[in-house]
Amino acid sequence: MRSKTIALSGLIAVLGLSSFSLLGVFDEKVDFNTEIKPLLNKHCVTCHGGVKKAADYSLLFKHEALKPGKSGKPSIVPGNADASEFIRRLTLDDPEERMPKNGHPLNDNEINLLRQWIDQGAQWGDHWAYTRVERPALPKPGTFWSRLGITRSDETTWIKNSIDYFVVDKLRSGPGETTNGLSLPQKSFLHPSPEADKTTLLRRVSLDLTGLPPTEKQIADFLADKSPNAYETLVDSLLASPAYGEKWTGMWLDLARYADTKGYERDPGRKIWRYRDWLIKAFNQDKPYDQFVIDQLAGDLLPQSTDDQLIATGFHRNTMTNDEGGTQDEEFRTAALIDRVNTTWDVFQGTTFGCVQCHNHPYDPFVNDEYYKYMAFFNNTRDEDVTSDTPKLRFYTGDDSLKVLQLTQWVKQHATTPQQARASTHQLMNFVRVIEPKVNSHDFDEYINASLLDAKYFGVQHGGSARIKNVTLTNKNRLIIAWGTKAENAVITLRDGGVTGPVLLTLPVPKTGNAWKDTTQIFTLPELSGRHNLYLSLNSPKNPKDWTMIKWVSFQSALPGQSPNKLDAVDADLAAVLNATPDETPVFWEGTGDLHRKTQVFERGNWLVKGQEVKPDVPNSLPPMPKNYPRNRLGLARWMVSREHPLTARVLVNRLWEQLFGQGIVETVEDMGTQGIAPTHHELLDYLSVEFMETDKWSVKKLLKRIVLSATYRQRSDVTPEMLEKDPYNKYFARGPRVRLAAEQVRDQALAVSGLLSTKLYGPSVMPPQPDGIWQSPYNGESWKPSQGEDRYRRALYTYWKRTAPYPSMVTFDSPSREFCQVRRLRTNTPLQALVTLNDPVYVEAAQQVACYMLAHGQTPEQRIQAAFRRIMLRDLAPRRVTVLARLYRTTENHYRQHPDEARKLLARTDATPQEAALTVTANTMLNLDEVITKE
Amino acid sequence: MKNLFNELNQAALQRETRRHFLHTCTTGLGAMALSSVLGSCGFFDKNEATTAANQTGGPGTAPRMPQFSPKAKRVIYIHMAGSPSQLELFDYKPELVKYHGKDCPQEFLEGKKFAFIRGVPKMLGPQGKFAQYGQSGAWVSDYLPHLQTVVDDVTFIKAMHTDQFNHAPAQLLMHTGSARLGRPSIGSWVTYGLGTENDNLPGFIVLASGGKQPDAGKSIWGSGFLPTVYQGVQCRTEGDPVLFVSDPSGMNRDIRKQTINAITEINRQEYEQVKDPEILTRISQYELAFKMQMSVPEAMDIKGEPQYILDMYGVIPEEGSFARNCLLSRRLIERGVRFVQLFDWGWDTHGTSADGAIDIGLKHKCKTSDQAVTALLTDLKQRGLLDDTLVVWGGEFGRTPMQENRDGQTLPFMGRDHHLDAFTVWMAGGGVKQGFSYGETDEIGYYGVKDKVHVHDLQATILHLLGFDHSTMTYQFQGRPFRLTDVHGKVVTPVLA
Repeated sequence: MRSKTIALSGLIAVLGLSSFSLLGVFDEKVDFNTEIKPLLNKHCVTCHGGVKKAADYSLLFKHEALKPGKSGKPSIVPGNADASEFIRRLTLDDPEERMPKNGHPLNDNEINLLRQWIDQGAQWGDHWAYTRVERPALPKPGTFWSRLGITRSDETTWIKNSIDYFVVDKLRSGPGETTNGLSLPQKSFLHPSPEADKTTLLRRVSLDLTGLPPTEKQIADFLADKSPNAYETLVDSLLASPAYGEKWTGMWLDLARYADTKGYERDPGRKIWRYRDWLIKAFNQDKPYDQFVIDQLAGDLLPQSTDDQLIATGFHRNTMTNDEGGTQDEEFRTAALIDRVNTTWDVFQGTTFGCVQCHNHPYDPFVNDEYYKYMAFFNNTRDEDVTSDTPKLRFYTGDDSLKVLQLTQWVKQHATTPQQARASTHQLMNFVRVIEPKVNSHDFDEYINASLLDAKYFGVQHGGSARIKNVTLTNKNRLIIAWGTKAENAVITLRDGGVTGPVLLTLPVPKTGNAWKDTTQIFTLPELSGRHNLYLSLNSPKNPKDWTMIKWVSFQSALPGQSPNKLDAVDADLAAVLNATPDETPVFWEGTGDLHRKTQVFERGNWLVKGQEVKPDVPNSLPPMPKNYPRNRLGLARWMVSREHPLTARVLVNRLWEQLFGQGIVETVEDMGTQGIAPTHHELLDYLSVEFMETDKWSVKKLLKRIVLSATYRQRSDVTPEMLEKDPYNKYFARGPRVRLAAEQVRDQALAVSGLLSTKLYGPSVMPPQPDGIWQSPYNGESWKPSQGEDRYRRALYTYWKRTAPYPSMVTFDSPSREFCQVRRLRTNTPLQALVTLNDPVYVEAAQQVACYMLAHGQTPEQRIQAAFRRIMLRDLAPRRVTVLARLYRTTENHYRQHPDEARKLLARTDATPQEAALTVTANTMLNLDEVITKE
Repeated sequence: MKNLFNELNQAALQRETRRHFLHTCTTGLGAMALSSVLGSCGFFDKNEATTAANQTGGPGTAPRMPQFSPKAKRVIYIHMAGSPSQLELFDYKPELVKYHGKDCPQEFLEGKKFAFIRGVPKMLGPQGKFAQYGQSGAWVSDYLPHLQTVVDDVTFIKAMHTDQFNHAPAQLLMHTGSARLGRPSIGSWVTYGLGTENDNLPGFIVLASGGKQPDAGKSIWGSGFLPTVYQGVQCRTEGDPVLFVSDPSGMNRDIRKQTINAITEINRQEYEQVKDPEILTRISQYELAFKMQMSVPEAMDIKGEPQYILDMYGVIPEEGSFARNCLLSRRLIERGVRFVQLFDWGWDTHGTSADGAIDIGLKHKCKTSDQAVTALLTDLKQRGLLDDTLVVWGGEFGRTPMQENRDGQTLPFMGRDHHLDAFTVWMAGGGVKQGFSYGETDEIGYYGVKDKVHVHDLQATILHLLGFDHSTMTYQFQGRPFRLTDVHGKVVTPVLA
């Protein structure tokens, strides 16, 4: 084709090609994914699919669809539609026999398509999102003619990078097939918009990359930079700003269902803000996304994992735990486990896996037991819904950290071989830093006169006993136990094999004042080997009704150089360290040995009815895990970020695209499966995914930069009637994004433009002012104590997040409550939002500050309004709009002149002037303008 | 059919991603198409208005038709958080008197799990004095002397059962159909399905009393995965009735009006330039917010109520109380609010304190609520509202026929533990039978033995009364359709009028 040099013959050839296909000369191959699968999903699989297999027939997998149903007749005979029972049943007249049963019959076109597909061999295709990402060819820009140099194309001059090729191609063809420029020279579906003006673009890209309006320096630098790459320089500076990490952490916190409380009834506090800080650092350092995923899912399993890698595993420790009296820990451990599996799929794989818990996936190629094989990867962590939220990584300071250092020194000095030094240090550090391995006392059984106190920790009264089952005691010569009682002279006897078995130890219970207060003690344990059932019994005749409580026990080996049967100063140091109360943060910790759990299928999803045992594995319809990967979370995480995995990169690219454009390439960011909405720009998604993995080596910053540098992103965002008619929701990107700011941005912008915003990074969550009476959890004495100083004005992501009573203005602007992972915030537009930005004291205070700024910038109301608008929006306000605000200012000022007491109230100052009050009202109005709370 | 519904939902989801809370006020977008006829939205020319209306066909809160003709148009759901004892109030068990003080027989305990009972508890006889009342001969105890007088308007469901014996999960199950956090509440489902019939108040309003939030927190009136427009809006009796509804101190209504006018005018100019229909929605939301600033305090202000009404409910004017909330619920219903949810905390009678004793605390809670609940029924009836307003009353579970012995110890007061196998809920008005009792428990009130009703059945019945088939009223989320009743629930047809 390209060799044609005469326009006329080119035209004939193009005409020829199109009419050939119209005439069916090239017999069109029916595409399973785009043409057949939607028909099956729509009409058939509700009854003949993963959930219901009516007449024992399913159309979910090929092998099921080809085999005969209950009638015994071959249902689909590849190559012969006429012999296929499947087609016959669709075409019968008898409504009892005709499929879909009780539904509308398929129309002729649909039946012909199915026929054609069977005649062509009934080839099954995999859903696009479950096939490997391949690099698509760039569509050719311009028209056939402009490529020949005959005409000039606006498109070719508009294009800035490869993204734009895909977008232009779609804009030309519209909802139909892309034409790759081979169509007749007809009118494009839509034309791209020109680049937005400099200040609009500056504000947009700044809000998008950092969540904040640009700083004065960024504005000045950008506006002064006349070089062709000024915009790129700006983007680089935004990506390098610490605010960048905060903004993207904000997005990730929804996914991680991050909160500062544990959830459920009491919803007590949980300190896990170090995980939030880890995210900020990870984004700011541009930690490659593959490593970012591995650290969060399996940081604890990495060899020589660092504190940071452990903190990263907080991702899955954000699950809720239930401290309500009477709740069973195992039930809520299981709930957290299931949440982890579902969240892992939602966040990283864009696939709804939750359905598969109870039955085969109704639409996507996952079967029931694959859920549990996958769950087995996560089923070995040591968190067990205990009230203390262990395991937690402990951060020692001062004397305690010195003691820890001395303990490690001791091991180094006394180990006889380097191997022993390594192993013992490892064991010591695990125990000192996360207090694992240990047996939580809720696992004791065979209670006599004993109980789980408030369904939390094991308690025993005089004469009572219980069993610690199946513990391996080879080389274990230390018993470490956390316990306490109110009783005097209570003594626990530990026996081997039975309540009357040989006595191993007799131990006085420390009197801690009450049973809920525990202290950790170390005892020597007689030499035993192999697995044992231990029995403990309490003798406490003086206060027989007082409980002795045990939180946990651990069986450890003495350190090198220690005597196996005598305690020494090293034990004393260890005990001191264990009893310290340093800062802690919840982490993942893998249970091994006695603590390894086996995973069984839950029958019909019911965790109480356990079925066959399963081993960890990934679903069959995805690429297999390489043989050399460990069959644990680490192997799983590596598999997820391997080049072969079809979902991980696509899902992230789509998510970032959604953040920037307000809408994903696949609109259903949460579901790339067959029930999700099909991608508008499939090739673009794949192209970006391949670039992300291969060229950019999983660098999120590079990916974002690639997108924001495109002409597609830089377009003006106003809407023409043609766009509104043809593409009201901007699916084809013929204009730039125009969406309301996210909850965090609404607050942060108001604080930033009023000069109140604190730029302090990291640290415990803060409590900015909120109305009284928001927190009223039962059985929970915690209260909202407003932060002082700059902590009142921190960015929204640092606001203390209580799951059952989240910060009200955030929720009004569509923040989820973070009970579960929410992949996508649906944007709403409600009067309650208006009430927040009009009346919430945070916004009134911001308006007061803006008023101060106005006072100092200009003499006339017009000048001051213009100055404030420029500060907020970086651009001038149209004169007509200035007039509206100036009029408001003048009538208001007049009012306050007559009512100076009201001015004093509004400013909360006795020396407030009518002028200041009127400026505050004007600023309050400006902060509520559509353009101000919108990213244009 | 199912697929069609899915498709509709998917389409609705697509639309809702962008636009919500369309409104029926004269300048609101819901009325935009009409406006070209009525001319009430002066500043749009006809073409623009039509275009905007075309863009905004999604369901917001404009009134919508249910799936079939409904008996009830609105709901007042009175939840006694903590769970009142059915054995002291409605479920009369003379046999239990005989067992009082005796050890609980072992067969009642085998395989059972309780929240707090450990070991062998003692049986606890009913503390209320029971008699039959009304034409229907309904059994009610002397704890509820007022309710006795209106039993012929009520249907009692006596063999309710649930799956959860802890407050938070049980409340979640009762209100969202799932014991886990994160699902939409029944009020959200109903406003999602029916929209609201007023143009200046939220469609789903929550009133709480008793000094605490319910155990499951705000999640039980959350909208879960439904758009946040459908979440319950809590109206408070102290501070702002709705958060941030008051203008800042020092800004009067007139100035606020002028600021709204300025915002509207500038936003209109913005719309003329940018043509994004979202701006039109924003304009209408600001105008609605301004109206709400008046209408919410007006609705929540009982000063205009005559003394005899205050007396009937037992409302003390300057005091937030359950009684006041009952009266407010009538005022809200009158103003077209679709779903009013009352929570009253403090019904959890374990016997660990006098407040939590079934012969002291429970009696007191009854005393502070009985008159008001009865007045609400009477008041609604007098105003002709009871015919199409459904009133539901109940806790999240029941209480044991055994006396609680927390951690095996004898408690200082008489109390009962949480119990999931038997409790009583009553309904009145909008399409339920009058003077009817449904279901029976065994002779000690431990298990339902006849016509058992699960929480999901109750929910299915409520939706049915409002004109919805609970099995097809679904919302597409994370790849599958969700519904209030999960995969369970059966309409309890015998209670339907």
